[in-house]
Amino acid sequence: MGIPAAFRWLSTKYPKIISPVVEDQPITMPDGTVIPVDCTKPNPNGEEFDNLYLDMNGIVHPCSHPEDRPAPKDEEEMMVEVFKYTDRVVSMVRPRKLLMIAVDGVAPRAKMNQQRSRRFRAAREAMEKEEDKQKFIELLKKQNGNKIQQEESVETVVKKAFDSNSITPGTPFMDILAASLKYWCSYKLNTDPAWANMKVIISDATVPGEGEHKIMEFVRSQRGSPNHDPNTRHVIYGLDADLIMLGLATHEPHFRVLREDVFAQDSRPRLCKICGQKGHDAMNCKGEAKEKNGEFDEKDAVVPLKPFIWLHVSILREYLAIELDVPGLPFQFNLERAIDDWVFMCFFVGNDFLPHLPALEIRENGIDTLTAIWKDNLPVMGGYLTKDGQADLERVQYIMAGLAKQEDAIFRRRKEAEDRREAGFKRRKLADEARQRRAQGSRQIRQAAENSGPPAGFSFHKINEFPGKVPQPSITHDMVVNRQAVDQANVANKSAASVLKDQLKSMVAQGTSTPETGAESAETPVETAAAPEAAATEEQAALPTALGKRKAELIEDAATGPEASSSEVTEVSENDAEPNDSVRLWEEGYADRYYEQKFKVDRKDIDFRHKVGRAYAEGLAWVLEYYFQGCPSWEWYYPYHYAPFAADFVDLGEMEIKFEKGRISRPFEQLMSVLPAASRHAIPEVFHPLMTEENSEIIDFYPEEFEIDLNGKKMAWQGVALLPFIDMPRLLSAMETKTHLLSPEDQLRNTPGKDFLLLSDSHPTLYEHITSQFYSKKQGATKFELDPTKSAGLSGSVEKIDGYVPHGSLVYPLSRASMPDVDYDRSLMVYYFFPDCSHTHKSMLLRGVQMPTPALTRSDIDILKGKASRSGRSYGGVPLSNKGY
Amino acid sequence: ATFPIQPVARFAGKSELVKRPKEFACFSYDADHKFHIGARSLKWYYTPELNVDLSKGFESFIKHDDSVDEHLDSLLTTIADHEQKTSKPIDAHIVTWRGMMTKIMAAPFDDDGFEMNATLYRGCIFIEEHHAYKKESRANERPWNGPIPQEVMQYWGYKFETLSTLPRPWGETSRDFIESRPDHVVNNKEQYCSVVRTGIGKTILCIGGEVDAIWDDKPRTQGDPINWVELKTSAVIQNDRQANNFERKLMKFWIQSFLLGVPKIIIGFRTQDGLLVETKEFRTMEIPLMVKKNGRPKWDGDTCVNFVNGFLEWLRHTITDEGVWRIKRRPRSAEIEVFKVEEVGHGDIITD
Ligand SMILES: [Mg+2]
Repeated sequence: MGIPAAFRWLSTKYPKIISPVVEDQPITMPDGTVIPVDCTKPNPNGEEFDNLYLDMNGIVHPCSHPEDRPAPKDEEEMMVEVFKYTDRVVSMVRPRKLLMIAVDGVAPRAKMNQQRSRRFRAAREAMEKEEDKQKFIELLKKQNGNKIQQEESVETVVKKAFDSNSITPGTPFMDILAASLKYWCSYKLNTDPAWANMKVIISDATVPGEGEHKIMEFVRSQRGSPNHDPNTRHVIYGLDADLIMLGLATHEPHFRVLREDVFAQDSRPRLCKICGQKGHDAMNCKGEAKEKNGEFDEKDAVVPLKPFIWLHVSILREYLAIELDVPGLPFQFNLERAIDDWVFMCFFVGNDFLPHLPALEIRENGIDTLTAIWKDNLPVMGGYLTKDGQADLERVQYIMAGLAKQEDAIFRRRKEAEDRREAGFKRRKLADEARQRRAQGSRQIRQAAENSGPPAGFSFHKINEFPGKVPQPSITHDMVVNRQAVDQANVANKSAASVLKDQLKSMVAQGTSTPETGAESAETPVETAAAPEAAATEEQAALPTALGKRKAELIEDAATGPEASSSEVTEVSENDAEPNDSVRLWEEGYADRYYEQKFKVDRKDIDFRHKVGRAYAEGLAWVLEYYFQGCPSWEWYYPYHYAPFAADFVDLGEMEIKFEKGRISRPFEQLMSVLPAASRHAIPEVFHPLMTEENSEIIDFYPEEFEIDLNGKKMAWQGVALLPFIDMPRLLSAMETKTHLLSPEDQLRNTPGKDFLLLSDSHPTLYEHITSQFYSKKQGATKFELDPTKSAGLSGSVEKIDGYVPHGSLVYPLSRASMPDVDYDRSLMVYYFFPDCSHTHKSMLLRGVQMPTPALTRSDIDILKGKASRSGRSYGGVPLSNKGY
Repeated sequence: ATFPIQPVARFAGKSELVKRPKEFACFSYDADHKFHIGARSLKWYYTPELNVDLSKGFESFIKHDDSVDEHLDSLLTTIADHEQKTSKPIDAHIVTWRGMMTKIMAAPFDDDGFEMNATLYRGCIFIEEHHAYKKESRANERPWNGPIPQEVMQYWGYKFETLSTLPRPWGETSRDFIESRPDHVVNNKEQYCSVVRTGIGKTILCIGGEVDAIWDDKPRTQGDPINWVELKTSAVIQNDRQANNFERKLMKFWIQSFLLGVPKIIIGFRTQDGLLVETKEFRTMEIPLMVKKNGRPKWDGDTCVNFVNGFLEWLRHTITDEGVWRIKRRPRSAEIEVFKVEEVGHGDIITD
């Protein structure tokens, strides 16, 4: 759901849904040989799993710009990282039946709008960062008196970052990834006995759809087959919190999500984002050459691997069974339907396709608020909000009405809480400052006297390097890129880039010889380092550039849970000047101001508000169907930058929503829709003029300067990028004029592809089943439906790949031979098609399902029940009267 | 001639080699009880809703009139069709309905009487129910004085089938259909019948019988095991007497499923007044073991198999020439009698 804090919220509220993964590690022998993990052995987690699904972008992203080591130096190194990581995940799960690897393909339009906003921001921040770097280098040169040796090392140390915008369907990078994944899986099928009975499905970026949704479609399609085993144990790996929601939405009770434990105490040294060295972070980077580690700079001792955790959807189901229980209903309570409603309401709090409702914040327990309204209204509504992915809008109206009643109170309370936090912070800050002044005074004296080095993290130069002078701070990266200043400036709706330029100019003008300025700035990192969230702050600063949404989510998860925002830790900026929120949701008349300022419509235009409400309701219906049935429309999108208020939803029951499937974008169309001109290297050159030339008929789609509206938030990346929406017909007709110029390879890259099925020739039945059709003397059709009794339950059909012959040789697709070729390839590859999915998938348990042993104890249940009766009712307004609305 | 049932101890011990029943043909009766070759009335099992009153809809029950003697007609038509399609006669020694075999097989542990007609034709014995006897014994039954009419209690079983099955696999069935099953009209005219070839000892049998539902899907290769589901209802077990009754009942359930190769029996447990409260799955194979583990077992599966094996071998030595024979057991009798009732022809058992 892209709700950053959702994961944190869930695991705090429902603690037992999380447990650590038990993992066997390869053993390194004294002579240096490594004994790999034997995955044919029973799973050390005490339970076996059938299917593992990899939301592959959740592997490619962290591998292309890792947190704990320097980025891979090229694509081959990156692929090797991807193999390593994937191998680790597969060894953890040891799927006995199936592995599905899904890479994001072209996305629905509704998603592209979000990608566009992210990528434009990423590009802008990258540009700013690059500028910063240049300035930084120059300043360093100046300060170091142009010491040549230093200068060189700086240049080599500050590497050019991999453009993560390349991780988008249609780029050459994605071709490399697809080829590498196919090679690696074939290699594993050849060499790892644990893969002998496994079927591998690879859905690369040429197959339309977001990775996790392709996986969901697969699961639904299998469930629809009478041969599907209802007790299949599924594991999905990925970083999005909404994989939990997707897991619930399958109604497969044996379902787990696997991910890195972002809450694990990270004992490893963090590496600087700029120079890739230990001992300091990006804010304190001085761009100095790397100190050699031993004579040959051998690799650091093995870094402990980040632990992984399980997220048990089955246990969440147990919690929800209690949480959502409504006694005395006039109709039969159905847990599966109730779960769907709950998932639906989670979308209200945030998703990738709609801006979230102003009144609902996950940190303010927005989901509880909705759940309480739902429970109170369920008897009156006469049924559930949703049915197999279709929303009953008349009932949705009850929920919106319930929320609308509390809306004013929510905004007022939010403001009160903020004010309290602010006041507390200021108090503490004053106290801290006083303490620090005292400490600093004595420290400076001591330093001067002892002639000693600075404490770790300090960037003061040794005092004896500046004889007769006041200690002068060296420049740190953070002095150049003072993010807080940027954020402040954004409030004034000034381009961040221009603010930064101003700031730099003034710094350069003042010169680094002004000790006060320098000292003050240098103090900042020291101060923040004392706060628990310092590391996160640093990452937030660097955030949207290289990391993108997933990281953003993890980081926010880690940094600002409910406790974080409510107690000591605060993300409130230190500067006194608070963002000037001119809408003032906490004051009467906020709706008038909101529509006037955000939508630029007259405050009397109530019809417009209702129109926005209807568009939003349509969006909720779209998201719901997307999650439960697959994409209802590839072209639909929410046409505003802002959400309406709950009060703006009126007469939803009278709405009729119908989605047209629409046209699935081609990869280059998506690239042209989401990438800014600065990332055009990922797009075939023939299209570049459309993005750059002034007379291009679509040049307005690619603004270099655009406004980011903080919309009440604190961080630039939380704000709303006010980009113009792509007008598809215009984009398509502009691209049409260039398409014929595409090279044959590019044309191929722009064509939708198919899924692949790979298996080993030692599979007891399936290998024979397929090869006897495709490669025996009496060959059958080139496409046929699998017999589930021979495929160990897999339904669907397979098609022969033109020109492919089994038992050929397997060639490593990259240049440096990091992995070997295999002369006699014992794996088989065919195209694979999901079984017919034309029937509506029903949110029901399948016959024969055996529920896992309950994990909650009597006392867990009692505690939760006690909380459930009170939760979500802090703003008044519920229960609604039985008269309804 | 007579075949003694007692002492049953002589049939105890490891059972005779039984071949796995393989379906080689099937037929259906549609909702009007019209005969069709093929699987059109096949049903898929899907979990029933619980807490449904099994008497609901009794008034609109569309009940098959079983007072008409149907002989072996539909079974024979299906076999003939199969023989024609494969241009090969079937090789069975015995052709009959599953119900006849059940009665014989249950005889060692059961007091019920029965009468059947049998005839030898092209080296194969065809056995059918002696319809007149069935009618007569029904008429002689003691009047029912339970709180719930017998017809209603019989209806419960059919109702449970309606609650638990779908005409297409779950994936292809709408939610509305599934959820409205408690309101569906119950019709027992519609049936799917499996025709299997099986072997007990040296005797090859061809048996036809109704199967209630399939668990997943028919395998693509004919003869591969099929995940059939037998549906039954039974009173909830609250005391020892009920437990004993249930154990006895399990024997019939087991024999029926055993004969057609039905691997799974799903029992709907109901209250005394017919409220469905629970379903439980039993693996056919495990039922005899389950019973054996009880303190004083009421029946023994091996004995049943060995008994029927002995009887069939004896029967094949007894019925050696034309005419119509009667196979008869009086209630509580310790023997089965076999004697000729018509000197020539095949009676109504076989009609060409
Ligand atoms: Mg994804």
